Order: sequence, then structure tokens, then C-alpha cells
Amino acid sequence: MRAQMETGDGLPERPDAETQPMSNDVIEVPENTEPLVNQVLELTELYKLTDRLYRARSLDDALDAAMDAIVSGLRCSRASILLFDHDGVMRFIAWRGLSDGYRKVFDGHTPWQAGADEPPPIFVGDINATDEPDWVKDAIRSEGIHALAFIPLTSQGKVIGKFMAYHELPHVFTANEKALAVTIARQLGFSIERARMEEARQATVRELRDSEDRFRQMSEDAPVMIWMSDQNGACLHLNRMQREFWKVSDGDVSNFDWRTTMLPDDMPRIVETMIGALTRRESITVIGQYRNATGEFRVLQTEARPRFSCSGEFLGMIGVNIDITERLAAEKALRDSQERFRLVVEASPSGMIMADGDGQILMVNANAERLFGYTRPELIGQRIDMLVPSLKRENSSDSRMAFKAQPEPVSLGTSFLALRKDGAEVPVEIGVNPIQTSEGLRVIAAIADISERKRAEAQRELLLAELNHRVKNTLAVVQSLAYRTFRKTDTIARKAFEGRLMALATAHNLLTHSNWENASLHKVAADSLQLRDEIQSRISIAGPAILLSPRAALSITLALHELFTNALKYGALSNEAGTITFHWRNDHAGSLQLEWREAAGPEVTAPAQKGFGSQLLEQTLALDLDGAVNMHYDPEGLRCIITMPLSERGGNACLG
Amino acid sequence: MPWLKGKRVFVVEDEALISVMVTDMLTDIGITVIGPAATIAAGMRMAESEDMDAAILDVNVRGERIDPVAEALIKRGIPVLFATGYGEVTLASGHVAPVIDKPYTQEKLVRGLAMALGGPQQLKRSAN
Repeated sequence: MRAQMETGDGLPERPDAETQPMSNDVIEVPENTEPLVNQVLELTELYKLTDRLYRARSLDDALDAAMDAIVSGLRCSRASILLFDHDGVMRFIAWRGLSDGYRKVFDGHTPWQAGADEPPPIFVGDINATDEPDWVKDAIRSEGIHALAFIPLTSQGKVIGKFMAYHELPHVFTANEKALAVTIARQLGFSIERARMEEARQATVRELRDSEDRFRQMSEDAPVMIWMSDQNGACLHLNRMQREFWKVSDGDVSNFDWRTTMLPDDMPRIVETMIGALTRRESITVIGQYRNATGEFRVLQTEARPRFSCSGEFLGMIGVNIDITERLAAEKALRDSQERFRLVVEASPSGMIMADGDGQILMVNANAERLFGYTRPELIGQRIDMLVPSLKRENSSDSRMAFKAQPEPVSLGTSFLALRKDGAEVPVEIGVNPIQTSEGLRVIAAIADISERKRAEAQRELLLAELNHRVKNTLAVVQSLAYRTFRKTDTIARKAFEGRLMALATAHNLLTHSNWENASLHKVAADSLQLRDEIQSRISIAGPAILLSPRAALSITLALHELFTNALKYGALSNEAGTITFHWRNDHAGSLQLEWREAAGPEVTAPAQKGFGSQLLEQTLALDLDGAVNMHYDPEGLRCIITMPLSERGGNACLG
Repeated sequence: MPWLKGKRVFVVEDEALISVMVTDMLTDIGITVIGPAATIAAGMRMAESEDMDAAILDVNVRGERIDPVAEALIKRGIPVLFATGYGEVTLASGHVAPVIDKPYTQEKLVRGLAMALGGPQQLKRSAN
């Protein structure tokens, strides 16, 4: 724009301030004496204006210069400059010798519309001679003005405002004056245009700089490392995070060689990739380890792109580095944990199957392959139903639905059959565990082949039956010896002996039925005190559920046999009215108390001599039960109190 | 149990002492004992040839099941009473016979025999 002013318009070279040709004595030449003098004066003013406008630093400078030129050049005492504002209203922006009231009245007053095409100026020699309304004339006259000139200011051919020259007396505007006015207006218009363009340019520059600042700030504060390199890959710019990573000060960036921070093992690969990107001018992604300021190697993932100038010249690369050390570690931890999980599952002694909520097999371990006779690929993706015998499939589906509705760990027990590939059905024990994963419900089933256990159980039962048979046979042999011995001589002794033998056999039977683990005290009592119905109703058996060890069961059976036999012979059962209660209770102090109480029998007297029966009771039983046995020969009926340890689990007696 | 007197009862029992006792128990109440046989082979032979009213059979005879002897007797319509230490007896043919548990008293034996021979009437009488 400056070049245009100097050359395009063909205006004269800017003179030095010292060589200004005009001096004050020339200006003092009186008016109307010499038109040539006037012309020189006008030219001088024009020259000064041009010079001042050229030097103007601001719109105000330009307006000031124009005002001086108008007042001096047109030899008027007062003047003003008005411009259209954004709303197209003509506003005073500079004035000389005008009252506030005058400006107020004529603010907005204009003979032209904003943007009109280059209208001609208007010169009013005498306001009284116009057709203007009276209020206009009055306002002008009261300001002491008689003549005025309206000179349009234009920019690119359009009206942007005007300047006014005022004379206190009626005035004849000469052709020279008119020409000078238009020239001043043209210069001023041009200056305003230039000032406005400059303002706009500066605003743009400011905006650009602000926006650059913002971007620089953004890059600087970005939570990733950002860098820029030249065509050779040398650092041009590193953002704060990147500088802090390497502890490089902003001033040292250009001297910093990032290549020295690479892990030596990574160097060939990264350098090759970078050189490739620089030569082929293409985007790359490369992961490598770099030593940070603390000496620690961190894994950085670099994403870089080539950058070009507006004219397409290759400038280098711009890139971001993302520290993925933690992410990689987390991924590795996850992989390791998955691997551990896989190994644990694989090493599990049970067959393990993981399925989704719909029963589709997702994973199996080696034992599951072995158990079902399928290979892994034959199982994965198949339905779990293929492993269930057809008769059970409906149940399997039902229980799956129920499980889905309420997933919780359950043991499905030992009553299951698994269907092998070869069609064989294997007894299995199944436990299932639900796992809620991000992919939905997963079910892990642990399946143990229990055919061996079942076989062992069957074997054990067989052995027990065989043992029982032998024991019974032995008892029978003993019995046959006794039978022979007492056959002709002592029937009472034989029967007593047989009774005891039978009681022992009864207890054996009971224990055989419970696999020789334990026997219920209720059952022991009921089996020992079996008799005909009419006597049965005279015996009461009651107490909490108690389990007896085999030894305790045998002892108590023998004891009850003795008490029962005694009651039949001498006690409550020897008449028609006597009764027996056999009750026991948990004293909640670790003991079980059993009480045999006879009532309404013949009057009892303590025996003079203790027989085998009471010996068996008081001594053997106490020893066997690790307890105490007390016989009370109350006249109204015999009482036998047995106290023995009671435990929660195991022992001679425990809670059933 | 006078009605049992004079009955001919066949006994199979491999344990000598027990067979002696059974013989004693039965003889004491006037029953004539056939046998006793101590093996399945002997048992089979006698079961097919001897004249008898009933049989008392040990279930396990020297490791062999009594079933063939029992089936042969049942075929002849002879009532059978099993004596066993096992507790339960089921024959392949599905026939059910009364069972007494070893060891047994004379009373129990006679009651069982009465049940095999007669039914509830005799049973009740024998129980008394």
C-alpha cells in the first residue's frame, strides 16, 4: 500500500521536514490580491496535507492534517469531518469552531445516503438564499454561519462521509477552492480507507497472533508429548511435556539429539523407520524405549506425520509421543493372569468346562478331554447337552434355566451321568460356579469322574456284607456250642446266653445297615426293646436325635437287653401294669444322660448279690462308654442312669 | 407246636457245629431231620430225591449260592425257609420265601418254619 502511494499515484517524493518550501511570510499575503498567490497557497496546503497524511500514524493524525488543510486551504474559520457509522448514520468525528448545540442539531444530517456513488459536492454561498426549512436556516444562522460547503468523502467510489467548510459571511466559492476541496476530500478519503485497512490488517495480525498463541499454549500444555523436527529429523520444537521427559530447556531444543536417549537395542529399528519417513515423507507409527531425565527407560509410542509449507515444501515431521509403559505393563499383567488362570484350569484334577449362559462350550481343560473322550476342537463351540445322556437332557436344560435365573455356586451332587464320545455313561460329580463377566454370564463346571469312587463304595459294601455274614456265622457257631453245652442241663442259663447273643447280633445288623459308621440311639432302643404289642405300649422311648459310635451302639444294646430281660423277669414287665420309660437328654454341658425308669412293677429290693447283668451294666458299660452308670433300686421301680460324653461330631455319641 | 411233630425237614448248612445245633433244635420238638447237607452238590442230590415236608437252607454254602437247590425245591412244591447272615434273599425266579437271620434261637427257627409251612394261622400259634 505504501508502495502504491509512492509510485502508483505519481505523487511527489516525500520531502524532508527541513526542506519544506513554504514559510509563514508567504501565508500572510492578503486575500483576493493575486489569484496566482492563492493558487500557490492552495498547492502548498495540499502539499503539506499529502506529506502529513503520508506520515500519519493513525486516523486521528489524518483527520487533524485534513482539518488544517481545509481551514487554511479554503480559508474558512470553521470546519468539520463526518463519517457514516456502522448503522449508516452520519456522525461528527472531528470539528473546529462548532458549538455542541450545532453538532447536536446536525448530527446524522446528510444530503447523501451511505454508499452512494461519487456524488458531486454542494456549495452554499448564502444560507438565506436556499429553500432549506426555517429551522435549518435558524440553526445555521444562530451558529454565525452564512456559507457552507458539503464535500463528499469516498472510498472506492462510494460515499463514506463528508467534510464541511463554514464561512461566517456569504461566500463565493471559486473554481480553485472547489477543486482544492475535492482534492482534499479525495486525499482524506484515501487516507481513511488506508487507515481502516491498516486497522483491519492489524486486527487480523492480532487475531492470528492470538490464535497462534492459543495453539502454542495448547501444544505446550497438552497432556501428550508433541515435537516438531526439520527435514533431517533434528528437533525444532518440543512441548513442555516432551521437554520435561528429557529435561531439555526450551533454549537447548535445537542442540538436543533425541537419538541418544533410545534403548540401544531399539535404535536400528527406530532410526530406520524415521529415515524412511523423512525420505518418503510419510506418516509412521513406531514404538520404542527411551531414557527419560531420571534415567528410566519408558515405552513411547510415536505417531508422526510429514509437514509441508503452504507452497508444498517438505519441512520435516510433527509427531506425538505417548507413554504406554503402564498400559503395556497392565496388558502384560492381564495376559499373565489369563495365562495363570488357564494353567490352573488346565492343571485342575477335575474336568473343567466353561460355557456361556446358553450352554455353549467356550473352554475345556485336558481332564475334560480325557473324561469325555473328545478332543478340544470337538468340544469348543458345541452345546453342553452333547455331554449329557439323552434321558437327562431335558433336566439339564431345566436346571440351566433355573441356574441362569439365579446364578450361584452349587454342587449338583453325585447323581449325574456324563456321556462320553464312545457312548459310555460315566458317573460324575458336578459343581458349577457362575462368573459375571463383561461378556455376560459364564458358567464354570468342575466335573469329577467318580466311577472309581462308586466302585470303591460298592466294594466296601460287599466287604461289609461279607464281614457281617462271617460275624453272624461266628455268633451262630458260638451259640451252637452253648446250645450243646446247656441243652439238657440248664435251660435258663442257655436262654440268658442266647438272649445276649441275639442282642449282639441285633446291634450288628443295625450297624451293618449304616455301613458301620454310626447308629441312631432311637433305632438302637427300638430294636433292643422289641416285644409283642401289648407290652410295647407299656414302654416309652424318647429323646433328641443322637448318633452312636459302633462301640457305644453295641454296649447300649447289651445294656438295654439286660435291663429289659430283668424287667420281664422281676421288674415292671413281670406284672400286667408296670411301665418303663427310657428317656435321654442333652444336658448342654457336654454330656448325654440316659435314664431307664421302671414304675408300677412289684416292689423292688436291692439284690443281695450282683449278677452278671448288673456287672455288665455298671462296669463294662461305664468302661465302654467312657461314662458312669448308676443303678438305683428304688422300691417303686428300678432306675438306671447312664451319663456319657456328648460331642458335636464324632465320639461315642454326637448330635444327630 | 404239636402240629410240627413228625414233619420231615431237610437242612442244608455248611458249618458243622451249626448243623448239629439245628438238628438238636428240630429233633427236640420231634421233627425228623433230612441231611443235613454240607455242599450244594449234596444239597441238589437230596433236594431232588429225598422225601420231605420243608427245607431250611443256608444261603451261602462254602462260597456258593443256595439258589439252584432252592429253585429245585420250590419246583417240587416244598416250602423253603432261608437262614442267612446276609439279611436279604432274592431268587432269580422271583419266588419269595421267609427268611430268618443268623444267629437264631430255637423259638425263632420254629416260628420261621411254621411260617414257611403254614401261614399266619400257624405263625400266630407258633409265636405263642
